[in-house]
This record gives sequence, structure tokens and C-alpha cells, in this order.
Amino acid sequence: MKIQQGFSLVQVWRYVGLASLLLLVTWQWTIQIDSSLGISALASGWVLFGVLAFLALFSIRKRLPFMPLAPSAIWFMLHTVGGFLALFLFWLHTDAMGSKGFYGQVLTILFYITSISGVIGLFMEKVIPRQLTCSGVEIIYERIPGEIAAIREEVESLILKCTEEVGTSTLAEHYLETLNWYFQKPRFFLNNVFGGHLSQHWVRQQCMILERFLSEKEREFLDKVYSLAEKKRKIDFHYALQTLLKTWLLVHIPMAAAVTAMVIWHLILIMVFFV
Amino acid sequence: MAITTQERPQRWDQPFGLFMTDQDVDRLLTFPEISAIEESKFPAHCSLKGILKNDARVIKYSAGDIVIREGDYGNSAFLVLDGSLKVVLFPGLPGEMLGRRTIRKKTLWQAFKQLWTQRKTPEVRDVKSQGQHSLVRATEALGSSQVFLQDVPAILDKNKTASLGKGALFGELAALGRTPRTSTIFAETDAELLEIRWQGLREFRKYDQGWRRLIDQRYRANALNAHLRATSIFSHLDDKDLQEVADATLFETYGKFDWHLTYNKLQTKEKTLGIKDEPIIAQQGDYSDGILLVRTGFARVSIDRGNGQQTLTYLGTGDFYGADEIFRAWQGDSNVSLRVTITALGYAEMLRVPSKIVEKHLFAYWSSGREGFRKGALQSSVESRRMQDYIDRTLTDGALLEWAVEERFVNGTQAMLINMDRCVRCDDCVRACSAAHDGNPRFIRHGKTFENWMVANACMHCADPVCMIGCPTGAIHRSMSGGMVIINDDTCIGCETCANSCPYSNIRMVSIRDDVGNFITDPQNQKPILKATKCDLCADQISGPACVFACPHDAMRRVDFRETELDENTTGF
Repeated sequence: MKIQQGFSLVQVWRYVGLASLLLLVTWQWTIQIDSSLGISALASGWVLFGVLAFLALFSIRKRLPFMPLAPSAIWFMLHTVGGFLALFLFWLHTDAMGSKGFYGQVLTILFYITSISGVIGLFMEKVIPRQLTCSGVEIIYERIPGEIAAIREEVESLILKCTEEVGTSTLAEHYLETLNWYFQKPRFFLNNVFGGHLSQHWVRQQCMILERFLSEKEREFLDKVYSLAEKKRKIDFHYALQTLLKTWLLVHIPMAAAVTAMVIWHLILIMVFFV
Repeated sequence: MAITTQERPQRWDQPFGLFMTDQDVDRLLTFPEISAIEESKFPAHCSLKGILKNDARVIKYSAGDIVIREGDYGNSAFLVLDGSLKVVLFPGLPGEMLGRRTIRKKTLWQAFKQLWTQRKTPEVRDVKSQGQHSLVRATEALGSSQVFLQDVPAILDKNKTASLGKGALFGELAALGRTPRTSTIFAETDAELLEIRWQGLREFRKYDQGWRRLIDQRYRANALNAHLRATSIFSHLDDKDLQEVADATLFETYGKFDWHLTYNKLQTKEKTLGIKDEPIIAQQGDYSDGILLVRTGFARVSIDRGNGQQTLTYLGTGDFYGADEIFRAWQGDSNVSLRVTITALGYAEMLRVPSKIVEKHLFAYWSSGREGFRKGALQSSVESRRMQDYIDRTLTDGALLEWAVEERFVNGTQAMLINMDRCVRCDDCVRACSAAHDGNPRFIRHGKTFENWMVANACMHCADPVCMIGCPTGAIHRSMSGGMVIINDDTCIGCETCANSCPYSNIRMVSIRDDVGNFITDPQNQKPILKATKCDLCADQISGPACVFACPHDAMRRVDFRETELDENTTGF
């Protein structure tokens, strides 16, 4: 039995094709209405509203995992394709110019923030998981503080052991002055986000500075501290990227909710005062 | 530096029965079934009295107590010392009566209702209903409980039964063969039974001719023919020929029955050492002397590669190997030796059908020109080609299977496999699982990883479910419909036997709460009541496993490694 994961190219194109068809039909419809001197924005507006409502349903689907409402993966695919469709419909609806009034401008800005955050989120969700896998460790986000605390504890017990066994405090003092900062919490967030090696470089630098002042025995302890720092670097990397994976939704979802609320009010206003 | 010492642990440091005395052993020796055993045949380190004292225990059952349940996995056999027992014949007792969980799929409305009926605190149980339907009662043995039948006369009226009286032995085939019990046996009157764990049973079979003959005869009579009949290459044989094959078949056991106890230790060893420690069933390069059939357990098929062994595939219950080599030798090919090495993965019970019998009943049939010839020969060549494909495979191609075998994930029939290249760590799967199970997820999205694959800590519904061995109430059992391993919360007594036995740490003990959210405690010692919990594949949910259903990135699958070839779409979606 061969297990297929994800969607094949044919399947993806099928969804894109369906979305394109809907867009084309709507476009033709608006042209037809324009040619008969009707208000085409009403037609495109209704279709856009339908698509936006469908996009919002994904959030509801997530809260009903026990209902037989088709697998979440299909919903996600429809949400993605539907998101792009909404963008094109929005341009069709507003003649790609955006709105002139204050309310309309706020709605436009919120719509763009939602769309852009969605596209960025999609990009991150396709790129970051592989980077996390390549780091060679796997850790649950909520366990990161505990893991770092455990590493810190291990490092500090090593430092204490070194002081006790060797009888000098060179390593301990250096630790307090520099490395202690590193082991307190996740560091080099931005650098990790952009895939930099600053963290590695910084730790290596601190160890190199110290190395010439240490005895053979102390160096053995330093090597162990360095390997723990390496482990912590990987955890920091996970922390940075997993934070990104979690926080983009904190922009996307509230913005989407705001757009939905404003669209509903916009619709009410149109229906009451315009139609 | 002070050196820590301790006495070397001995086999009988932990006896089977905590209260067995020398007087009990002397009494047992007066029973004809035991007294017939030649004590002198047993070696000093494994004396008959030692086995009786340490590998056996005397248990008393009250009328109505269930001794063994159909479908249970047990590691012991029973000898009736006193009293009368009843065997429930086909079709057996309904699951509820045996303390099983009845799986009823929720209706659409019931599923939807979960949205507002879910409690905020996890693991809430309805205490009143649990007490009302309890089929469990405590027994004399410390910490032990038994499930009993409530209306024995009605059961006797409604079901066909057979009687077992003094001196009857039962349960030995399931115990030695690690197969499910085939029927339910309960005490008709108050009864006294000698329960012998499989280690003791093995020694009886090994050192006493009478017991060996009895056990082997029973296996040949009850199970061997059915096994051979179910094996494709022997399915054409008529009863007489099949009996001849069965008579010539040899039984062999390899590895440790309780492999799961040493599994975790094995994990810390160097990986290449693991395979070298496995008992060899057949060695690459040796002459093939028969077809090997796996009766129970798993066997690794590997070849020499560099300084180690490359795993090609594995054999499970019902699989066989060796027909191709013998067939080619029979056809006149010279120098036909085994192409692979077969070793026991943990524990394997094998059947060896000697070449001569195979030649007579199989190859002769294949060459007779009858319909079976083409089919049989074709099958042999297909098997041969498949094996050659495995041998030709690169190390990289076979790496995932190699890892799965090494970690014994091949035991799983529904392993939770996550593609970490697709997983965005959103935990939608965990939340979905929690929503479907009393507000507490039944798995941890964490586990062993290989390349981009992770086998998460979720029950794999093993082919060899060692967690079921030793459950005193049969609360953990294999569902007759669907085959998943599930726990009946009502009859689970929280003894943790299953959680401790699971080699993959996929069963968790939870403290249960009442409606208000307070922990339910035992009035005698104020300790919280524990229940074993694990993935049940959302047996009662209409959507199937909620975790897989909820993954927006299609990163998760429940897989049987043997039947699975992973293939990721490269579109990124």
C-alpha cells in the first residue's frame, strides 16, 4: 500500500481551476451588468461575501474535530485557494483602486493585512517545518522553557564540579560574566529567524577566549559546556521558528475577524441605504 | 573509591505467587498430574519443587468467577485441582458480560452535542454509573481483582458449554504461543486451580516427556492444521496430506517471551549490537532444510552488508520463508543456499516443515501439471524476485524500514507516523484528540524520529499486544470489531500493569474526577483512583481518528509499516 501525503499537482490544479472558473464567471457577470447599466459591484460584492464567509468557516471547522465535515487538509487547501480567489474578487469589486471613504479605506487596509499575513503564513508553513527537521532535534514548544532550565542546571552543576575538582574559579567566573546570560532563556531570536549563525559564533568566541586560561582538566569541562550550548542553540532555533509559526495566526485571525465584522456592517449599510 | 556490590539477580527473585509455601508445594506433589512428573529429570538449578514454588500459584475461584476470557492474552496455563469449571462453546458470551467495552458509534447529533456537553475539567467520570455496572470484585491475592458473571444459571441455559473437572489442563497453547484465548472459562462451583506461568510451563515441556507429549499433541490437534491450512502454499492439500505435513512439522521457539521487559534496556545499546544479540533462526549461506513459518512473533530478514547486517524485511505471524531455495534445489540447481539470515525479533515461535515433506506435497503437486502448478511456481518466482529487489535496494532506500524494525515499530498496526517536513507543530491533532476524549489527549505529539518521520507516542494497536498480558480484569482487550486494542474504563482497576508492560510507553494513567472537578479518591487510603488511558482510534466517533482528520497539512497517518510505502507529494500542499 502506497501512502500518498498531501495533494498531487493534478489535485492542486483542480482546485485552482475551480477558483478560476468562479472568478471568470463573476467577471463575466459584472461585465454583463455593466453593459446593461446595472451596478456590477453588487454582484461581485455578494460573491466576495460568500467566499469570505466560506473562508471563515475553516475556523469553525477546527472547533468541530469530531464532526464528519471532510478532512481538515481539504479545508486548508480550499481556504488557501479561496484566500487568493478573495483577493482577486476584492480587486474586481473595488476596481483594484481601493475605497475612497474612511470606512472603506480601513476595510481595505484590514483586508490587505489579512491577505498578506495569510500569504506570509502559508509561505512559513511550507518552509519552516523542513528547517526545523534539519536542526536534528525535535521539541514541543511548551516544553522549551523546561528544557532550557534543565540544560542550565546541567551546565551549572558542571561548573561547580569543575571548581570543586580543579580548585580554580576561572571557568565559573567566566560563566557568570558571559555564558550565564546565554543559558537563561532563548537568545538570538531574530538571528535564528533569518537562519544566521550568530549564536554559534558567539558561544564559540566565548569559549575560545577562555580556553588559553584553562588547564587540561578544565578544558574537558569547557568542552562539555560547549556541547550543551550547542544543544541549547538548537532549542533556541526551534523556539524562534516555532514562535513564528504560532504568532502569525495572532495577526491573521483577529484581522480576519475584524474584516468579517466590517464586511457584515458594510453589507448592512449597502442593503439599507443603497439598494 | 567504594565499590557498590549487590547479589546477582536470580530467576526466582520474584515468584509468581507471593504466598506459595513449601507445604503448598508438597501438597501439589500429591496430585496425580504433578506426581507423574519425573523429578529427577529436572536440573538442580531448575528443580520441579522450585518451579512449583516460584512459577506457579494456587488460586481459588468462587462460583461465577471468570478464569479466562475469550480474546484475552495470557501468559499462564491452569490445572484444575478441585471444583468444576465450564467452557463456553461457540459463539461465546457477549462482550459486555466479559467486562468488555461496547463500541457504539455516536450519531450525528451525539457527535455535534459534544460541542457543549464537554466538561472544562478533564477526565470526569460518572461515579454512580461506574459503580452500578461494576463486574469486578477483589480477590484474596494482594492487589488482584476478577471479573465475575452475574447470572450463571441463565448463562448455562442460553449457551452451549462443556465441563472441565479435576485434573483438566487448559490455557497452555495461548500461554506458550502468545495467541489469544479461544474461549471463556468460568467457575461453575467454587474451584481451586494451579496457575503456571509460561516459564514454568516451558520447563515442564522441556524436562518432562508426559507434559511435552500432552502439550504438543494438543497443539497439533487444535492449532497446527488450521495454521497450515491458512498458509497459502499448503491450502491445496486435502486433510490426509495436511495431516502428514502437520505430523512432520517441527516446533521451535526463539528469543525471550517477555522481550518487552528488556526492550528499553536494548534501546540504550549500540544499534549494531542489537541485531547480533538476536537468536538466529536460519543463517545466510546455510543449506535450507525446510520452509520456515512464523507462528507468533516477528522475525527479521537480513543479509550481510559490510561489517553489519542490512534488514531487508520482516516476517510476522502467518508469513513463511524458504520455499524458493528448496524449490530451486529440487529443480536441480546446485549450490542453493539461503540468501538471507533470519533472526527472532524479541520472540518468535516458528514451524519448520522439512524439505522432504515439502518436496512430496508441494513441489510434486506443482509439477503435476494441475492448476496449482502455475500458481505455485509463479508465486515462488514472485517471492524470489521480491526478495532480490530487497537485496538490491540501497541502504538509503531501506533505511526507514531498518529503523522501524530496530525500534520494533513493526509491531504496530496503526502507528502514528508524522511527516515533520509537513507538520507545522500547530497541535490541532492534539486538540482534536482531547476534544474527542474527556478533555485529555490520548497521545503525545512527540516520539522517536528518523529523518523527517516521527512515530508519536500513541498506541500502535500492536500485532503482539504485550500490554494485554497480565491485565487482571481483561479491561484492556482487542476489539472483535476492528481489531483495535481498547480499554474498558468500567472494569479498569488502575493497577498499571498495562502501562508498565507497554514497551513504547503509550499507555498513561490518569486520575479521574467527579462532576465538580474534584479528584475521586479511594475512601480507604485517600489516594486518587487511577484509570489507564490510551488511543482507541476514536472508536466511537463517526469521523474516525480525530487526529488524522484534524491535520490541516496532511502530515499524519496511521500506518502498518509492513504494508506501507511512504510517498510524499512534492507539490508542497
